[in-house]
Amino acid sequence: MRPGRLIGRIVLAFAGFMAVFPLLWTALNALKNNVDIITRVPRLVFTPTWANIGYILGRDSVLTGLYNSVVACGSAVVIGIVLGLPAAYAVARYPNRWAGDIQFFVLSLRFLPPVAVAIPLMVIWLQVGLYDTLPALIITYSLLTISVIMWLAIPAFQSVPKEIEEAAFVDGYGAYSVFWRIALPVAARSLAGAVAFSFVLVWNEFLIALMLSSSNAKTLPIVASELSQQGMNVPWGILNASVVLLSLPPLLFLGVLSGFLNSVFRQKKT
Amino acid sequence: MARRTSLPVTFVVPTIAILLVLSMVPTLYAIVIALQNRELSTPDYSWVWLSNFVDLFLDRRFLNAVWVSVKWEIVTVVATMVVAIGLGVLMFEVASPRLRNVYCLLFIIPVLLPRVSAAFVWKFAYHPLYGIATYPYRLLTGGLIFDPLSKPGTALFAVASVDVWQWGLFFAVIVLKLLETLPPQPIEAARLDHARRWQIHAYVTLPMLKAPLISLMFVKMIESLRSFDLIYVMTRGGPGVATETLDMYAFSQGFIESGKVSYASAMAVLMMIATVITFTMLWKRVQA
Repeated sequence: MRPGRLIGRIVLAFAGFMAVFPLLWTALNALKNNVDIITRVPRLVFTPTWANIGYILGRDSVLTGLYNSVVACGSAVVIGIVLGLPAAYAVARYPNRWAGDIQFFVLSLRFLPPVAVAIPLMVIWLQVGLYDTLPALIITYSLLTISVIMWLAIPAFQSVPKEIEEAAFVDGYGAYSVFWRIALPVAARSLAGAVAFSFVLVWNEFLIALMLSSSNAKTLPIVASELSQQGMNVPWGILNASVVLLSLPPLLFLGVLSGFLNSVFRQKKT
Repeated sequence: MARRTSLPVTFVVPTIAILLVLSMVPTLYAIVIALQNRELSTPDYSWVWLSNFVDLFLDRRFLNAVWVSVKWEIVTVVATMVVAIGLGVLMFEVASPRLRNVYCLLFIIPVLLPRVSAAFVWKFAYHPLYGIATYPYRLLTGGLIFDPLSKPGTALFAVASVDVWQWGLFFAVIVLKLLETLPPQPIEAARLDHARRWQIHAYVTLPMLKAPLISLMFVKMIESLRSFDLIYVMTRGGPGVATETLDMYAFSQGFIESGKVSYASAMAVLMMIATVITFTMLWKRVQA
């Protein structure tokens, strides 16, 4: 058993290394001059430069992309919270004969191929005159955030002990204040995970943003992907810096999401 | 909790109404466009009914895209599940609780990255001359060039490896958490019967987790269909059409090459029908 254990540990350590090393390497490359990146033998020792990061943060297109991403994703997530959380609560706590169908409908929105949604929406937004605007992007993303938040919040609300809510009813609370004062705060941790998850999903979204924007409403992923097409001289350092900038916001949620996973699986145990 | 209150109606009806409008309008419109001959360059169009669909089945590039998509699904789903179960079991067996937490955090990082970022990270890594992933090959062969992304035989696997890097590691965390929720008694019993560790997992723990593992696979099948960004950044469907999946082909027909929106939409409608039917059937099975 001993050698098997050792091999297992080595494999695991290698997997852990593989999980983060490519990203760390990219971050390192973001601090390098082009000469230090374009080498046959990878260079670990080099004189760091802030030029790439400075260039990225000084570009209007990047700042516009960042602004668009924050506004579009932020608004869609807020709409998702406002519409998704109450609906999830009602489905979880007041089950009727449609509850199963509603859950399946919400899940089935995830089956729709993004191209199948993006092509008609592009034609529709062109006709309405909203093509390449943030409102069009926000409305489209809301479909995503509402359904994801609902999907993840239904089990979160179901796991709130019924007794607490019953006790509140006995104390004279109405249905709405039970939702506000009891269900929401008690489920808050899991709900935060669901919201964070929906944010990461729309922040990382690419195809819909690519098809629904041409110049004004481009989000950060689109801007980043365009940087790679700047002529023959690939600005490797700049590209690496933009990858790092794009990746930072979702990584901020690492803690929330891993806490969410833990709470989801702890509930299953009981 | 059968109280008389307006809450279910006021909470559910507006949300579901909005979701229905937001999803049905584009879906129905996709079908309408697919029955016409719209192009981006001209505003004129007429009804051509099913001729787009007939053309599709005579289009060899479309048939190739179907085949590439099927290959992509199989490769990514199978590899993700193998990596996830392998690493999940390994963590369960050889890592201390503390180390498990560290690995869990590390393994979640790749899936959080935007696919565009992940694609760029690995596109650099696979660079034949300067890439970090191809460096060992250059070192061992004394400078020979290995260019996985531009060879038709390896491109699909090179892109798939990035998908597995993102999802396989993440699913390993879930597999570990699932293993941790299992009751310990059956494992103890098997151990008393002198079962080897791999036997315990193959015959006891994994069969107990059959239902959640199938759900996990189901989720991965759906997510694998959304690989456009990865392919778009890494290969653009190339070399040739070696990595051109259905959504990539629909995109290039509709936007890059010819602006044939209707033709692209016909393809999207076929994808939609295929996925809705397949996943609805699978879902009913999983639930049953």
